[in-house]
Amino acid sequence: MRNRLKVLRAERDWSQGDLAERLEVSRQSVNAIETGKYDPSLPLAFRIADLFELRIEDIFLKE
Amino acid sequence: MAMNPAQRRYIGRMMVVSVTYVAAIFLAGSLLPKGSPATPVSVAIALLPGLAVIGFIWAIGRYFTELTDEYLRLLEIRKALIATALALAVASSWGILEIYTDVPRLPVFWVFPIWCLGLAVGAAVNKLTLGDGGCA
Repeated sequence: MRNRLKVLRAERDWSQGDLAERLEVSRQSVNAIETGKYDPSLPLAFRIADLFELRIEDIFLKE
Repeated sequence: MAMNPAQRRYIGRMMVVSVTYVAAIFLAGSLLPKGSPATPVSVAIALLPGLAVIGFIWAIGRYFTELTDEYLRLLEIRKALIATALALAVASSWGILEIYTDVPRLPVFWVFPIWCLGLAVGAAVNKLTLGDGGCA
């Protein structure tokens, strides 16, 4: 699944580590989600959406 | 990379269990000559290292349940599944070899060490397919 996480993170000038800290996950997780190697669970997707104050479908896109 | 709390607890438990395992092996080795008759006392002493191995398995299980990071948990579970597949494959295929040929017998003691070796294979598969080996 594609996502806009890298763009959203760059807009806020956050490193992967910054985002990982805010989401309380590892930097490996952020990297895996950003690069599309791992699709987050629904609860984590909601946490990501809440953090960016967006809807899940505004962050995660259908292929 | 900083360790998360689950990793710290896992490593602490593994160290305690490892010391217990080595002590139990020495105790059993010093009290029981090889091939001792199976009496309730000898069986109880010989099972002490086995209890430590159960401790290893318990620590691994606790680690899986205490890992809150879902991606890291996925990596660890994938490693365990690959290790299980490898251990079952080796034990079953070698067992069949033992039935039909005169290959040396593989003591069942080796199943858990083979499983642990499988964790390393699992980490390599994770690294090749996802770019991350895992965290333990």
